[in-house]
Amino acid sequence: MAGIPAVRPAQVPKTSRRRSKLSLKRILLGYALVAPVVVWRTVTSVYPFLYTLYLSFFDNSPVRQSFDFIGLENYAVALKDHNVVDTIGFTFYFMAVSVSLQIVIALLTAQLLNGRFFGRNLVRAINLLPWALAGIVTATAARWVFDTEYGLINDLLWRAFDIRPIWLVDVGLARFAVVLTDVWKNTPFLTVVFIGGLQGISPEIYEAAKIDGSSGVKAFWYITLPLIAPLVISMAIFISIYRILSFEIVYGLTQGGPGMATALMSYVVYLQGFRVLNFGYASAVAMGLFVIVLVIGLLGYGLLRRAWARL
Amino acid sequence: MELSAHRYARMRRLRRVIGRILFYTLVVSFCIYVILPIYYVFLTAFVPGDKIFSQPLNYVPQSLNIERYQQIFASLPIARYMLNTVFLATSSTLIALFISFLGAYSIARIEFPGANLVIVGLLASGMLPGAVTVIPLFQMYQKLKLINTLQGLLLLYASGLLPVTTWVLVSFIKQVPPEIEDAAKVDGAGFFSLIWHIVLPVVQPGLATMFMINFIAGWNEFFIPLIFARGSNSKVITNALSEAQAVGSSTEFFQSWGNMSAVAILATIPVFLVTLVFQRQIVEGITSGVYK
Repeated sequence: MAGIPAVRPAQVPKTSRRRSKLSLKRILLGYALVAPVVVWRTVTSVYPFLYTLYLSFFDNSPVRQSFDFIGLENYAVALKDHNVVDTIGFTFYFMAVSVSLQIVIALLTAQLLNGRFFGRNLVRAINLLPWALAGIVTATAARWVFDTEYGLINDLLWRAFDIRPIWLVDVGLARFAVVLTDVWKNTPFLTVVFIGGLQGISPEIYEAAKIDGSSGVKAFWYITLPLIAPLVISMAIFISIYRILSFEIVYGLTQGGPGMATALMSYVVYLQGFRVLNFGYASAVAMGLFVIVLVIGLLGYGLLRRAWARL
Repeated sequence: MELSAHRYARMRRLRRVIGRILFYTLVVSFCIYVILPIYYVFLTAFVPGDKIFSQPLNYVPQSLNIERYQQIFASLPIARYMLNTVFLATSSTLIALFISFLGAYSIARIEFPGANLVIVGLLASGMLPGAVTVIPLFQMYQKLKLINTLQGLLLLYASGLLPVTTWVLVSFIKQVPPEIEDAAKVDGAGFFSLIWHIVLPVVQPGLATMFMINFIAGWNEFFIPLIFARGSNSKVITNALSEAQAVGSSTEFFQSWGNMSAVAILATIPVFLVTLVFQRQIVEGITSGVYK
């Protein structure tokens, strides 16, 4: 191995012409190899996205057989459509509450499952089960779990507190049920990521802290948390975006009800696009969704850079 | 002096025992929190008739049977749905791995002009929500007569897997020291022999991990079949959840939820088996997707 660098410089002048010729061939090879993935994504994702933007300026509906340019009217209507405006509100509520709960629970669970203990592999496998479940299975089954008369949740609440809330009828409770289901399903992913983060912290730091007399909660607060803060922030951005895009949870659990109280934006796009068949209008709502995702992504990226700079 | 030292040691031991008990109580509570809802759906699927419908609920059933499965298999093409699911999850995963591997090798090793732009663009396209692409895709599929076809669904299933798979494989391939490849080239190995004998063995764990994660993602897919599958030609097991609720006398509350639970269990067993057996690889896949 040590001989290689000594040999290489001597060869450079002799082969430089051949190399540049080779590298052109190599560049073409590079493009050829990457072409399938690029073409595939362009056709099934980038082009449809641009066409959605285009459609959002049209009155396009197969029911009315219409395809008329109407400028920004779809957007103007959407901003006055209280269904859409309320949906944006709930989408943000869902994002904020679910992400905060997930981060707190995942940090605690990661701390719990990080050490060595009997049965650790089994418990970590159990932790992954909600992650492996299909979103639509979780959401549809959750409708049953939240059932007023025979649901699991109300059975436990009734045994403990003698109450049977009507989860999916009451607006506030229905919204909270959506959040709880999302938290149960998606926190395990975050826990796995945080366990990885905890394992990246060198044990010597804790040893040193122990000598200084801080362990347990103190060590968690003053050592662990600051060290994984950038990871927590970047994951918060990442899962926030996925919360905004959630669809299955609402489709399976509440169908947006009661009324439109638990409709998320992608669910409204689905309703407008595939139930009402209002393609133009649905495209405008979808672009609104995209803008929100973009803004949160960019804001988060800025926040993340500041967090890194501080470290 | 000695006595107090002795007492101190005993207190410390006691504190450790209490700490351990508290710790395991938390661990067991966590496991119950995860498993209880799943167990409850399992009961709903297998407890006969309306026996599950009692107040308070009976968590230890007297008997279990498979009457709901007989019912849903008799009235829905569940076997065909399962076959479609297996086909779509497996083939989309294999195709996505192959295509992503080629792209990832090119990005990681050949470093053609614009390689960085390509990977960033790929990842950005992966962040595009289904909601902003689905309407044009639907119109496109109507024109091309791809609605309700397995090949149509396959195109979209695989597409969704490409960005992250490529990203993870790039990070795996970058771990292969270039010197090994150079040495093989000096020995006169051609491009394909180089890939086959040098690169593939090293990234094989990465491929296996991504196979597992992508298979689970494909198995669980719902949005694509909801929009693009219209009949037993291409419908998958997740489509059967709501269909099972309408089987038989759908007015009967217990039948509707029992049948839904039966399908839920059926849809879940394969992914649970994969998860429990390959837990470590999956965890590695999740973390390598995030950290690298």
